[in-house]
Amino acid sequence: MTDYFEVHGRDGAARLAELRLTDPVTTPALVDSVVEDAGSLWAAEQEVPEGSDDVLTVLPHRSFPAGTDERVQESFSVDSPELDAPTASVVTSETAAETGADAYILSNAQGFVGHAAAFREAIIEAKDRLPADTALYLSGVATPRNVSTLVYAGVDLFDAKLARVRGREGMYLTTESEYFLEDLEELPCTCAACQTPRSEFTRADCAEHNVNALRAELATVRRRVRDGRLRDYIEGQARHDQWLTAAFREFDQQYGYLEERTPLVRNSELAAASSDTIRRVEIQRFADRVTSRYRNRFDNPLVLVPCSATKPYSESQSHGQFHDAVQFRAHLASMTSPIGVVPSELELTYPAQHYDSVVTGRWSEDEKGFVASVLQRYLERNDYPRVVAHVPEHGYRDICERVEKEVDVPFEYTVEDHPTTTDSIANLMSTLQGELKYSKRERQHNTIAALADYQFGDGAGDQLFADVDVEMTSRYPKLQVWNGEGEQLATMVPQYGVLSFTLEGARVWSESDAPTKRVEIDNFAPHGSVLAPGVVDADDDIRTGDEVVVEGPKAFAVGRAEMFGSEMAESTRGVAVEVRHVEEK
Amino acid sequence: MSQPSPEVYERGKGMDAHNEVMREIRSRKDRTYDPHEPTRVWMDEDNTPDGVKQSLTIILNTGGCRWARAGGCTMCGYVAESVEGGSVAHEALMDQIQVCLDHEAEQLDDGETAELIKIYTSGSFLDEREVGAETRAAIGETFSDRERIVVESLPDFVEREKLEDFTSQGLETDVAIGLETATDRVRHDCVNKYFDFSDFEDACAEAGAVGAGVKAYLLMKPPFLSESEAVEDMKSSIRRCADVDHCHTVSMNPTNVQRYTMVDELYFNGGYRPPWLWSVADVLESTADVDAIVVSDPVGHGSDRGAHNCGECDDLVQKAIKDFDLRQDPTVFSQVSCECEGTWDVVIEEETSYSMPLAR
Repeated sequence: MTDYFEVHGRDGAARLAELRLTDPVTTPALVDSVVEDAGSLWAAEQEVPEGSDDVLTVLPHRSFPAGTDERVQESFSVDSPELDAPTASVVTSETAAETGADAYILSNAQGFVGHAAAFREAIIEAKDRLPADTALYLSGVATPRNVSTLVYAGVDLFDAKLARVRGREGMYLTTESEYFLEDLEELPCTCAACQTPRSEFTRADCAEHNVNALRAELATVRRRVRDGRLRDYIEGQARHDQWLTAAFREFDQQYGYLEERTPLVRNSELAAASSDTIRRVEIQRFADRVTSRYRNRFDNPLVLVPCSATKPYSESQSHGQFHDAVQFRAHLASMTSPIGVVPSELELTYPAQHYDSVVTGRWSEDEKGFVASVLQRYLERNDYPRVVAHVPEHGYRDICERVEKEVDVPFEYTVEDHPTTTDSIANLMSTLQGELKYSKRERQHNTIAALADYQFGDGAGDQLFADVDVEMTSRYPKLQVWNGEGEQLATMVPQYGVLSFTLEGARVWSESDAPTKRVEIDNFAPHGSVLAPGVVDADDDIRTGDEVVVEGPKAFAVGRAEMFGSEMAESTRGVAVEVRHVEEK
Repeated sequence: MSQPSPEVYERGKGMDAHNEVMREIRSRKDRTYDPHEPTRVWMDEDNTPDGVKQSLTIILNTGGCRWARAGGCTMCGYVAESVEGGSVAHEALMDQIQVCLDHEAEQLDDGETAELIKIYTSGSFLDEREVGAETRAAIGETFSDRERIVVESLPDFVEREKLEDFTSQGLETDVAIGLETATDRVRHDCVNKYFDFSDFEDACAEAGAVGAGVKAYLLMKPPFLSESEAVEDMKSSIRRCADVDHCHTVSMNPTNVQRYTMVDELYFNGGYRPPWLWSVADVLESTADVDAIVVSDPVGHGSDRGAHNCGECDDLVQKAIKDFDLRQDPTVFSQVSCECEGTWDVVIEEETSYSMPLAR
């Protein structure tokens, strides 16, 4: 329960939030100047403070440093008083429990910051034990170099204690390293402290610089979270310290924690620039859904083509040529690193039209292995009479040959030299000679069904749209779904490649066998948005950006989730669902 | 008599947990010791109410501390230096004394002896389950030609009859009491030592009744306290001890990280740093005005497991502390300085128990 912390935006586990003091603080941020410590109960009895809206009051605490046995923690645990003011409770990741505070400080942070596996374990355990809508505060550990990864893992509040101490120790901290001040011939920074000439630059100046650098890095991180691009940054930034790289990889291996917190769609670019991109949630989720939810509905052969730099692929010059050669006689799917396989119906779906990768033509074994496994699973799930691999040598061809051995359907190769050479295109055309064309209606219908599969679950396309007489209006990529009675059910949103329902569509969804994501609300009719306190319950599998049905005694509505399911159920502040259509009961 | 209260109940729970954990930690070691050898013996110089004296310090192996067997203090690993099975027989203890006398004879010129004898047991010399009446009297006799004797004991065992074994030999007699801190809350919850400051006051009165004195041993920076909390605890403890009649000396010692202790577990996991030598200097300097001798002997100074500064100035500051021990002159501290004092300042100002240690 918190009145003084509100999450406004999420990017994976990272959050952009507001510490609602008299002068609000946008977090992640340093909070040194707004924290008031009511004192340690180890040292003395402490009076319960009154608290104030101007500061975050750290309630009287018995802090357990890293290495404190859990039995000692339990026997010395303190009851936190509930104040009508912003408060923080001191806990450890091992024994944290809700106290009613707005923020929680992990007093064992010194033990796990710097150790990737222990860090991952501590953060996940603490998040699991503490309410989703409260702030997590790590004191005395932040540096310009590590703070972005700490935010990425889900930490909200920091202080400059360590940066100051390190400065006084003669350590000059930057986002990419830490230097012995005495070794620096020139200062690699232009902050206010570093305006001091090198010869007069003291350790006190160094401490000031460290704090400036930390503050600037947090501003960068906040920008990245706002843009939904923190992960892109982390893949580069974390490279500057081994434990940080290990840390975000540890989180990649803890898929569930990040997956729950990663939005279904984003409007921003996804940079596929490192070998770690393959393991990020957005990529894994797409591959997983393509191979476990999506189903091919065309009877035609499959033509595998290489991806293009232009997105969506169909707008690229190369795909234009492939398209002209294929002439609707085959189903097109693009092979790409790091996404895997993108069937043409899903070419707009996040992150298929949003990623931008580094193209050198050299494929790593990791990339080949990943794309091959996706292609194999894809072909095991979907039956095609023929597979035409219109792909170049190197990488693509290797992958196809690898998969060909593992599946029943034979591969035919049509590329000489390069896929867009006249010979290659001619080969592709002639290979498909005699194959029948599918209609525009079939193509559009299959696109809608594919999106429904991808978004709502295996079989959802048929469960939602088979029984109704679906008509399409408007042109791709902005398809509209209508039933036979002149009522619109859904629209395809071209920016993210997902469906959004009308009220009537939501009703179809709700009554269908397709798994419905539901948010149960209190006795009111929401207009605009549903706030978290109004949520009675929400399905655990709701992700930020998901289409949800909102229902309560007074209303039936449809909208888009602004937080994930368990967060909606637990939170006491913030927007849970942006409602698109509502009907009062 | 104290009334039961939630506070007492909480304390009991905390003590149970501390003891359970400490027993477990201690059980990991399996060394045993020869009951005919003292744990340690060394020669030194000590500041006493009668001036600086040549001293013979004996750590007698008596089977160790009874409290430690129940679990015991969170920082104390000396129970490791105990014998298997518990108690040590009279003959064996006298053998240990002989080893110490031989050591003394080796170190000093012919005919010379130390004026001051200090006997510690890692427990209580005055506890008759550790050292029987017969042995105590024999030891009193053995050292009857010296000027002063110091014996270690918990306050519970300080009884005038026992002290008379020494005072009757004409020895100036002091009881060394491991008070650790004058703050009951810290002693109970951080150190896990069971007695109260009032027990210490009673022991001082008991000693004073037969003309003996008390030397209080304080512990700087038990686990769970930040650097500044530890410093404040010591400053007030020294003043409170000095105000107690018959407590004429305070030995204020920084925690060092001993194996098989709770402090060691915290240290190993990144949750503990021994105090700064600057903290020791600060406390000594600021309490130099009290009416008692205040000394400190930072064990393992300059090492990661002992009180330390930055590594550059440790020996210098240690030297100032030792100098202060002998002369009680606070100006010695204004003669040492180092850039790391600035780091220590920030640590004192910014370290809290939920952000410690801020520096290694």
